[in-house]
Amino acid sequence: MEFFGSLSSMGIETGTLVLFAMLLGLLVTGIPLAFVTLLVTLVFALGWFGPMVVPLITSRVYSFVSSFVFVSVPMFVLMAAILDRSGIARDLFEAMRLIGGRIRGGVAVQTIFVAVILAAMSGIIGGEVVLLGLIALPQMLAQGYDRKLAIGVVCAGGSLGTMVPPSIVLIIYGLTANVSIGELFTAAFVPGFMLALLYVGYVLARAFLTPGAVPPAVTDPVPTSEKIRLLKGLFLPILVVVMVLGSIYGGIASVTEASAVGVAGVLLSTILRGEFSWGLLRGAAMQTLQTVGMIVWIGIGASALVGVFNLMGGINFVSDLITGISDNPTIIILFMMAILFVLGMFLDWVGIALLTMPIFVPIVVELGYDPVWFGVLFAMNMQVSFLSPPFGPAAFYLKSVTPPDISLGEIFRALLPFIGLQIIAVALLILFPQIAVY
Amino acid sequence: YTFRFQSSDPAGNPNFVLHQSWAEEVTELTDGRVEIELLPVESIVAHNETQDAVATGILDGHITDLSYFSGKDPAFGLMGNPVGAWSDPEQMLDFIENGGGGELLNEIMNPYGLHFVGAITPGLEALVSAVPMDGVDDLKGVKIRAPEGLVQNVFAAAGASPVNLPGSEVFTSLDKKVIEAADYTVFSTNQAQGLNDIAPHPVYPGFHSMPLVEISMNKAKWDAMPADLQDILTQSVQDYARRLIQSLAEADEAAVAEAEASGEITIHDWSDEERAKFRGIAQGEWEKVASQSPAAQRVYDTLTTYLNDKGLIQ
Amino acid sequence: MAEHDTVPDAAPVEEHVAIPQAGRLGRWIDRLALLPAMGLVVAMLILIQEVVLRYVFGRPTIWAHETTVFLCAISFVYGGILCTARDRHIRVVLVYDLLPPAARRVADILISAVCAVASAAFAWAAWQMVQRAAWRPDGSFHLETSGSAWNPAFPGMLKVLLMLALGVMAVQFLILTVNYARGTKGAR
Ligand code: NA
Ligand code: NA
Repeated sequence: MEFFGSLSSMGIETGTLVLFAMLLGLLVTGIPLAFVTLLVTLVFALGWFGPMVVPLITSRVYSFVSSFVFVSVPMFVLMAAILDRSGIARDLFEAMRLIGGRIRGGVAVQTIFVAVILAAMSGIIGGEVVLLGLIALPQMLAQGYDRKLAIGVVCAGGSLGTMVPPSIVLIIYGLTANVSIGELFTAAFVPGFMLALLYVGYVLARAFLTPGAVPPAVTDPVPTSEKIRLLKGLFLPILVVVMVLGSIYGGIASVTEASAVGVAGVLLSTILRGEFSWGLLRGAAMQTLQTVGMIVWIGIGASALVGVFNLMGGINFVSDLITGISDNPTIIILFMMAILFVLGMFLDWVGIALLTMPIFVPIVVELGYDPVWFGVLFAMNMQVSFLSPPFGPAAFYLKSVTPPDISLGEIFRALLPFIGLQIIAVALLILFPQIAVY
Repeated sequence: YTFRFQSSDPAGNPNFVLHQSWAEEVTELTDGRVEIELLPVESIVAHNETQDAVATGILDGHITDLSYFSGKDPAFGLMGNPVGAWSDPEQMLDFIENGGGGELLNEIMNPYGLHFVGAITPGLEALVSAVPMDGVDDLKGVKIRAPEGLVQNVFAAAGASPVNLPGSEVFTSLDKKVIEAADYTVFSTNQAQGLNDIAPHPVYPGFHSMPLVEISMNKAKWDAMPADLQDILTQSVQDYARRLIQSLAEADEAAVAEAEASGEITIHDWSDEERAKFRGIAQGEWEKVASQSPAAQRVYDTLTTYLNDKGLIQ
Repeated sequence: MAEHDTVPDAAPVEEHVAIPQAGRLGRWIDRLALLPAMGLVVAMLILIQEVVLRYVFGRPTIWAHETTVFLCAISFVYGGILCTARDRHIRVVLVYDLLPPAARRVADILISAVCAVASAAFAWAAWQMVQRAAWRPDGSFHLETSGSAWNPAFPGMLKVLLMLALGVMAVQFLILTVNYARGTKGAR
């Protein structure tokens, strides 16, 4: 029997189901993730169409790797790798403990604060999770934080980059929906902070309700000379943050260029501290290469899969599915949320955005909803997709830089409460649209 | 016949909605013998990869800015946006339909495996600017975002400092004053995406860019169609081009009215002398592009012959 | 900085290396990785000089962003090969971890074989792409350029590199398959 083209006889409904079943099936077998999506894509390209469609996959791989959007990912990872090899991060957290250690859970709260600042410096996810995973996680574990709580703070906090402006998810949404990116950024501001505050609330609740979740508060007085020594540790990191944020908000550098300013700032700091060496730079660059290889190849597969699914007629299928579900606009919105949630279990945000935005935006506008509000809602849903198993990019990014004794399973279990918080944020945004648009 | 086309516009863009009306019209005109499914940008391949996808039969056709393929042959860049050549969309359409432009494009494109059905255009673009600009001299030293193609060279020749940024960074960079101006798109879309709010000195009508958007098909699939269907398709594109210009002009007018009513946006309109000065600079750049490939030279010759015949250049 | 001259570079921090099953090719992939890794440092320096030239001197270059994207693209592609040689691609090992050692070996063989076939298919597809990016229809050689004012041949070069990378990846997976089948020792 001829295999090429034979799958198309099953029709798009069955085809979609088989595609997801195959994704899930292959995902748990231990095949490298990047190749799970690529393999499914290959099978459907050959089975639904034939060999002539396979170049579509390589074309998408090419377009993906040569996209300017992803330049900031290696910059953030490089920053993390250099910080990891210097004493800057350790000193930073020592100093943070001096301030935050007096409240139970204070350092975890400060980590979320650092994550929000990082999110304001970057529009994309990947680098920040790696950065916090290399810097904040070991420090929190060393100070005696509950492993799951620390992991959750790092993954959830590190994902905020696409929620707090600037955000590439919102920019791509703005281009697709033809709405003002400025309005989207303004609208995302409060929901982004609301989400961060939910995380803070959860950390504090755990600190007071669960014994042993966080280390006891520092109570013994610290001598002034020690305080001054510790506070010196804050100086260089703050200087780097000022350089990056200053270059963005002062109109000196574009968002992507600012990520390079951050690397330069961190390198300069190591030189000032007398820690710089060729070995340090070499090691950091090599680790960056490996980490971005991993991060980018996960995205590559999802992007290719969406191309083939669209060619199969996926756009019309999903569009009919949504408009056929109900006449009630609320139910249609909730159904869209459900679709985003399910897709978030299998694809990364690039794939989801490419697949759903062209379908959802016209429907949302036709239903009379504010497309700006929906854009923020979309970005909030992407926050869930970063954490939700089995395909949770934030978990994968963290896994790529943590010691082997932290398993993916443990990371995902740690993320469950944070996914709950994100779903609460999505619900709040639907119930009270004025959080975003007022 | 069922064909799958990819557009270079995103789904929520007014252009895309208009393109869809063309696809529907084709079904009507052919009594359902030809059905075109139109997909938004990036849904199958990236915006600048559609030529290959159409040629190899992954897509059946595309509606794409011709200058995206300048990297394949500079001829596409020169044909796609000969900066300064046109002051009215109708002139460009006449060149393609009656001035030998369409035939030439097919001669260049056929070996790539594509058949050029026809040209459309969104019309003259508006320049997004945060600083007041009323003439060529005001361009001096201005950090201006320009996409690939001839536009960049012409801005450089006019004394501006072109900055090479992708479309996704235009908004944030303008907002934070990393750049002062940007070649983006038509006035109504600029207005909708909020660019005029952060850069309140748009130059409208623009002087710099009027892209040729090609509607082309896989050549083998085109050739397989009977002549009467081919004729209907060709005619439908020509009619659609006029309809598109008309509706986008109306959208622009509405957006201009909205911008003027806001009181915060100052629209700048260049005088004829300043436009002519810019055109003069642009023509110098055409020749440079022409020398880059034999096909580009042919485009240059055909284009200048047409413009001379019509008395549009001396 | 002089003090560092006397301090020999300490043993590299937790440097990962190619797994033994990756064979000689894996070791070479490891060694050559320094080039694309340093490319990222160069990309950073280029972005910084662009910021300085534009902001301080008002003279942006026409080449900085395209070069940066090119260097990053190379590192993304090479990073994928490196993760293959080092077995550092992320895997969900839910089922894999439940298997007894013998079955795990079979799984290793099957996984590597399947990935080798897929990579080979992609390398072939990339060749179709390269044919259109490296030659004009009339058969003359012309690497696809970016079409910008600078107009470098980065798109054509990157497509060629991507094809080579996918080919190397296919060979690497094949070597892994053979070595897993032979039972070459190595820590997982
Ligand atoms: Na951000
Ligand atoms: Na997920």
